[in-house]
Amino acid sequence: MNEKLLLVDDEVDFLDVLSEFLMDEGYKVSTARDAKEALALLGKETFGLLLSDINMPGMKGFELIKEAGRLYPSLKSALITAYDVRDYLYMAKHYNIGNIITKTTPFNFEEVRLLVKNILSEDVFGLDHYMHGPTKQTMVRSTNEIEGVIQKIVADMPDVRHKRKFRQVLNEIIINAVYYGAKSERGDQKELWPLVVNLASDEEILIEWGADEEKAGVAVCDQKGVLKKEEVLYWFERNATKGDDGMSIGLLDEHGKGLFISRETIDRFIVNIKRGRKTEIVMLNYGEGLYDGYRPLWIQEM
Amino acid sequence: MNIANILLVNINVPDLSDQLLSHGYNPVFVPDIPSILDVDVPFAVVLINQEAIGDAMAEDMERLYFASSGAPIAVYIDDSAAILPGLKRALDEGTLERVYRHEVTNGLATSRIDRIYLGAGLDIIVRAYQQQADEKDLLHKEINLRNRILEHERELNANITGSITSGLAIVDTAGNIFIINEYARRLLKLTHNDFLGAAYRQVFPEKISRFVENALKKITGPWKRHEMKKITVDDAVLEIATYRMNDYAHEPIGLLMIINDITDQENTTAQLYRSEKLATVGTMLSGIAHELRNPLSIISARSQMALKKVEWDREWAIKNFESIDGQVNRCATIINSLLDYTRYRATQPTLHKVDEVLDETLTYVEYQNIFDAITVEKDYQGGLVVFGDRSRFVQIFLNIVLNAADAMSGRGVLRLTTKAEGQASVLVEIHDTGSGINAAAKDRIFDPFFTTKEPGKGTGLGLAVAYKIIQDSGGEIWFTSEPHNTSFFVRLPSGKRKAYERKTAAR
Repeated sequence: MNEKLLLVDDEVDFLDVLSEFLMDEGYKVSTARDAKEALALLGKETFGLLLSDINMPGMKGFELIKEAGRLYPSLKSALITAYDVRDYLYMAKHYNIGNIITKTTPFNFEEVRLLVKNILSEDVFGLDHYMHGPTKQTMVRSTNEIEGVIQKIVADMPDVRHKRKFRQVLNEIIINAVYYGAKSERGDQKELWPLVVNLASDEEILIEWGADEEKAGVAVCDQKGVLKKEEVLYWFERNATKGDDGMSIGLLDEHGKGLFISRETIDRFIVNIKRGRKTEIVMLNYGEGLYDGYRPLWIQEM
Repeated sequence: MNIANILLVNINVPDLSDQLLSHGYNPVFVPDIPSILDVDVPFAVVLINQEAIGDAMAEDMERLYFASSGAPIAVYIDDSAAILPGLKRALDEGTLERVYRHEVTNGLATSRIDRIYLGAGLDIIVRAYQQQADEKDLLHKEINLRNRILEHERELNANITGSITSGLAIVDTAGNIFIINEYARRLLKLTHNDFLGAAYRQVFPEKISRFVENALKKITGPWKRHEMKKITVDDAVLEIATYRMNDYAHEPIGLLMIINDITDQENTTAQLYRSEKLATVGTMLSGIAHELRNPLSIISARSQMALKKVEWDREWAIKNFESIDGQVNRCATIINSLLDYTRYRATQPTLHKVDEVLDETLTYVEYQNIFDAITVEKDYQGGLVVFGDRSRFVQIFLNIVLNAADAMSGRGVLRLTTKAEGQASVLVEIHDTGSGINAAAKDRIFDPFFTTKEPGKGTGLGLAVAYKIIQDSGGEIWFTSEPHNTSFFVRLPSGKRKAYERKTAAR
């Protein structure tokens, strides 16, 4: 694993503190102030990860990543921004970029650390990757069990804020995992889905949950891996983009809204995909007032 | 006139003088026709010896007619039968008539031929005088009639000026009020009624007096067709249009003023402009919120690093806190720029570097994703200053830049150019490669509420407000547009010149 990182940002102060942090974490870090400088450095050394600001003078982050990816196909990459990721979803979809880190206040070093580690190691599955503390797990084998599982999870949540939010999204996410993930039912024909579905052992849905000092988390994982990164980006973008009437253009779509609404509701909505093997949705919710700012885009497809 | 002067030309008739005096006439003797011009008292009748007429040359005759100034001319003949051949010839040959005709052809038609009386003794004088008196009587009657007509016209004028719901006042070049209607009195809050002929200074409020004084000074010089000015009297905003009144020879005789109360209109406009200002604040606010996120995240990151660090070496600590300090200042600058903008007239107009104003404008909008694929090019001359309220300039440029970004649908080149135009003005060009302004929009682009944006997306006030601000500051705005090539030009008076003008005006 190549642990050399290249950070690109026109905010010199930010470059300085982020590289200090990542060096403390044991990475080798180089910095560049714009895309031109970054491409020059990429030509001289082999890096494992390119982490670039979006809004820079000259070539913007998206173009830089595209160009770097063209020149060095094995280079992994992510973007970082202080701005609203929803405004960049159309670009993310256009460039098929799954990872945009946000500059939150307080600055979320833990998240950056995790994202960098995840992207480089591709070892991302399992809620224990995201939580500092014990997690519980259970398997969903039938749609009849879903409500019971949700109630158990919600009962375990440390405060009402978490309870409310997870109550809101879990049904949607687990139902999706059962019908769409495990059974490959067509999302646009929900009315034809059978009311009760029992899952075979290779179709069971793994649910993990837990809480630590900062947050509560739930992971929902199927064993099929049918969801694609570009699909997720497509639905996010359709629902984030406003049409001429001021409504989201995905408003009348038959499906895809649940994914977007869940992302809007829960502080962190992480999608991990190993194509043909498994899809995991990790949802993290922070305590009140923590890490205000925009939510990162966090989709990783192996 | 109790005593009528009778001019006696070359008359040496004994006792005539006594007879005249006894009839209440006062004789004035001159030896010949040319001497008439030296007489400096008015006279009722000219009595001239027929011998003097007979000997007179045509030029003398003309002199006689001019000198008589309309007084009847009586020719003294001792005996009507004994009319002198010279006089007879003058009459026959039309020498007298020639004078008459001469005057007619010059357009001064007074039928003087009627006023030549032939005869001896006093009776011709009496006849001539009587005639004169009759004429005067007629004149009086005519004058009375004319006065009545004038009176009527004046009433009509008063009705007209009294009926219109605009203030109307005329001040003559001597500074006296010639006409002032009821409405003007109300607008100017004048309490008395009779101001005709009064000096405007004693009547008008001080602000208006000063304005009239300036306008009166100007009407003798080169004058535009009319001038317009807004003056606030108490709470009312008056718009005064001034016109120069000329006589038939195009000489100025007075100042005509039309005064209108535009307070409501001004308030509405002010409200509109405030709402546009709020819209601008909205744009800036979200810009500022975005701008703060960067320094705040750096401050947070630095603090967390410091908290986590087990041991601080001095160099590291200094770097860390210098960075925090710098970022805090950056936050303060960002917040201050909004405060400056929203504080209503809290900032005195002052000198601003135009390049800095443009850069500040860009910081409010560049974060917007519509700018992601727009390349901003700057071609600044550097060192150019403009004078005024910074927030207003930002408002102007913000509106133009946002329109440009819209026209490019978020893809293209935005070029900002600044250059000096001599010492007097600064030209800013904002160029875009967008769709351009269509023909229908070209005429209306500066109209309030005109917008090409979708409902709810534009107030339609942006450019109208920009236009107004630029006009108020003595500048100009215009544009050239074709597809992929649109430029807005803003010409502002150079700050150095404006500051100098203010300084000298204050002295």
